Amino acid sequence: MTFRIGKTVSSFALGLALATTALTPVAWAAGASDTEQERTARWQEIAKSIFGDRQIAQTDSLVKIEAPARALDAALVPITLTMPKDGQIKAVSLIIDDNPAPYAAHFEFGPAADPAELKLRVRVNNYTDMHAVVETHDGKLYEAKQFVKASGGCSAPMGMSDEEAMKGMGDMRMKFAETQPGKPVEATLMVRHPNFSGMQMNQVTREYTPARYIDKLTVSAGDQTIFTLTGDISISSNPVINFAFKPDGKPIQVAASDNQGGRWQHSFNPPSPTN
Amino acid sequence: MRLIVRVAASCAALLCLAAAPAESPVAVPEPDGLYAGPPKGYTPPTLKGATVIDADGLTTLMAGPNKPALIDVAAPDRKPSNFPAGRLWLPVHPSIPGAVWMPEAGAEPLAPEREALFYRRVAELTGGDTAKPVVVFCHVECWGSWNAGKRLVLKGYTGVRWFPEGVEGWQDKNETASLHVDPAWKAGAEPQAGR
Repeated sequence: MTFRIGKTVSSFALGLALATTALTPVAWAAGASDTEQERTARWQEIAKSIFGDRQIAQTDSLVKIEAPARALDAALVPITLTMPKDGQIKAVSLIIDDNPAPYAAHFEFGPAADPAELKLRVRVNNYTDMHAVVETHDGKLYEAKQFVKASGGCSAPMGMSDEEAMKGMGDMRMKFAETQPGKPVEATLMVRHPNFSGMQMNQVTREYTPARYIDKLTVSAGDQTIFTLTGDISISSNPVINFAFKPDGKPIQVAASDNQGGRWQHSFNPPSPTN
Repeated sequence: MRLIVRVAASCAALLCLAAAPAESPVAVPEPDGLYAGPPKGYTPPTLKGATVIDADGLTTLMAGPNKPALIDVAAPDRKPSNFPAGRLWLPVHPSIPGAVWMPEAGAEPLAPEREALFYRRVAELTGGDTAKPVVVFCHVECWGSWNAGKRLVLKGYTGVRWFPEGVEGWQDKNETASLHVDPAWKAGAEPQAGR
């Protein structure tokens, strides 16, 4: 098990990386640049700004992050976070290192959650490492990493007018998978919302559409929280989130808000278990 | 119009896969002078007075005896005006190692002082040799590099190479380096782009 390098060492490593860059003459030969070193230094900088001096251990069991190695659409990159150790996971953060706003999403799980698998779709701006960092109930942090090839996702225009993109904003649908008694239920939440990144230029007016994105989304089973998502501009337009919960027969409540004061609430009735 | 934008958007999306510019559904003609339309979109297959090169061609050029000046004119990531204070904002600009980044030097219109600065910087980077190879690029399907190349052709540069695949085409097979804006370009007081 390796730990993320602590504060002192990390600044030393960063200094070393910078020094190396400064001392290396402009190198034309293939492979002479220090892409990997830059990626590591960047992750250390991001991790420090999000998690402070807390240590982050690497894991290959507490969380896995899956993404297509090469995305078909950089504005719609499907991500799967797998967290098989039920009962241990308190929260998970998704960080897209080379996005200008790297902290894409933070999910805080409640008592009604089954965090085994979580899916969402994100924008990817550059070829990048992605990190999933889980926090366990004992307060420890663990990270997993995945490299993704996609670029331009944050500024990709939606291909329609802003008015059209905002039509029906806040509408939601929820689909439930087949249920079995005593088993967690898988559900898919679809939210109609453009999640404007603020980096998208209207190609006709050449004005930038202001950022308008879902910043908070809480899903509950009755009065028990399943998860609370803190979102950012890296989440794709019309967010789709797959999750699982422990059913107790009560309706699923969804409350969403965006950074421009939009507020929406919806309620969905899960199917009753069939034998 | 909407359809065109949609087609363009889905092709741009596909390009994330292919990196190289797709075959445009319509042949884009070269404009007479500089292009003043939307900066993102299909570009012509050619640039009169310049040579179009691909990533392999660029690698070969860079490995050869007559090293090119590399000019990146990609726009920087724009921080949304209403991005909340306190959220992490940390833009990065991966590019071709050794390139000089002069964001939006291919904008049209461009403030005259800014254009003069662009010419001055290129003259410095080529040692005043207008026949020296100069590679201009930004992103795939970005008119900025086409315009920057055009500016150099109009100024009498004879070694202009336009690399339309841009950073996307490069990073597929090669290492990148995070660039900072060229200090002289950054120091210029006039607006970078004409809008």
